[in-house]
Amino acid sequence: MAVAGAGAAEGRDRFGLGWRPELAAGILAHLDRIDVIEVIAEDYFDAARADLRALRTLASQVSMMLHGTSLGLASTVPVARERLDRIVRLMETTGAEGWSEHLAFVRGGGIEIGHLAPPPRTEASIEGACRNIECATRIIGCAPLVENIATLVMPPASRLDEAEWTQGIIRGSGAGLLLDLHNLYTNAVNFGDDPHALLGRFPLDQVAAVHLSGGRWIDGPNGARRLLDDHLHDVPLAVFELLHELGRLGSQPLTVIIERDGRFPPIARLLEQLDLARTALAAGRMAVR
Amino acid sequence: MSSPALEEFLARLYTDEAALSAFLSAPTETARAAGLDHAEISALAGADQTGLVMAAASFRAKRARRSRRPPLLRWI
Repeated sequence: MAVAGAGAAEGRDRFGLGWRPELAAGILAHLDRIDVIEVIAEDYFDAARADLRALRTLASQVSMMLHGTSLGLASTVPVARERLDRIVRLMETTGAEGWSEHLAFVRGGGIEIGHLAPPPRTEASIEGACRNIECATRIIGCAPLVENIATLVMPPASRLDEAEWTQGIIRGSGAGLLLDLHNLYTNAVNFGDDPHALLGRFPLDQVAAVHLSGGRWIDGPNGARRLLDDHLHDVPLAVFELLHELGRLGSQPLTVIIERDGRFPPIARLLEQLDLARTALAAGRMAVR
Repeated sequence: MSSPALEEFLARLYTDEAALSAFLSAPTETARAAGLDHAEISALAGADQTGLVMAAASFRAKRARRSRRPPLLRWI
């Protein structure tokens, strides 16, 4: 099965940024330090032709991955064909090297949640996700990388833990894993797991790409505090440490993307974080196994 | 367990404050009234209520933020 892009195509680790209009000028001015960009697919489903031409031109200058947020692959409900067709058209229009989507459900019974929600972690949702990934792969022509999500709620009605559930989908579908280390870290601290122990239980041999981002602690009812993955803050040290560990545990080439959705710092600060990611992964690679 | 009906039920909890409030007050009765099966009702009885409240609030904020953004940036 063809698996979406990622570092394996070039046999080396790659580092890049999520493409956001606010970062465009900075990214274009520093393509010598950016190997790959990741474009939010939904931003361009209804884009003007001129914007799509610009995106294709961009893809000719730097490796590009499309990142979906609205398919709802991890669902017992089949993904609608028209949603997959939009990915097909955007892949063809842009010439992107691959695509990714989240292990989430985003709607139910016609109700749009508006963001990525964790489905019940059960055998049934594993089977549903595998069916959806198989269908998407057939229609789009290459398999997605699928991404673990962050959650503020322990997914209701679950029978499996996150690592077991993710293993089930990755092994069952054959898709590669886009491992979001801040999402993993967030879930670990929110629900009492050790982040490094949780990392070790993920299917690390199937990781093809990595997301890094930041978040903040928020207050809930009855004095509760949980970490929110908001993409508005710098990547914390703990996440770089997980990247180091990932490099120590695995040997396949990885594509590492920093996601930033707001409170944009100067591009120099994001490039510094990319350098920290390079350093952390390289150090992990060199560490004794 | 884990069905389209359960996903619809959860989607409603994440988007409808009155539905969430009713569930928090009476989980079993609310799930039964929604037509979920026995296994689903039992599994929901021990749901992470703090997390449901926080997740619903986060999704609400996301929807509000998205509706204020220009089309090209809606999904961020």
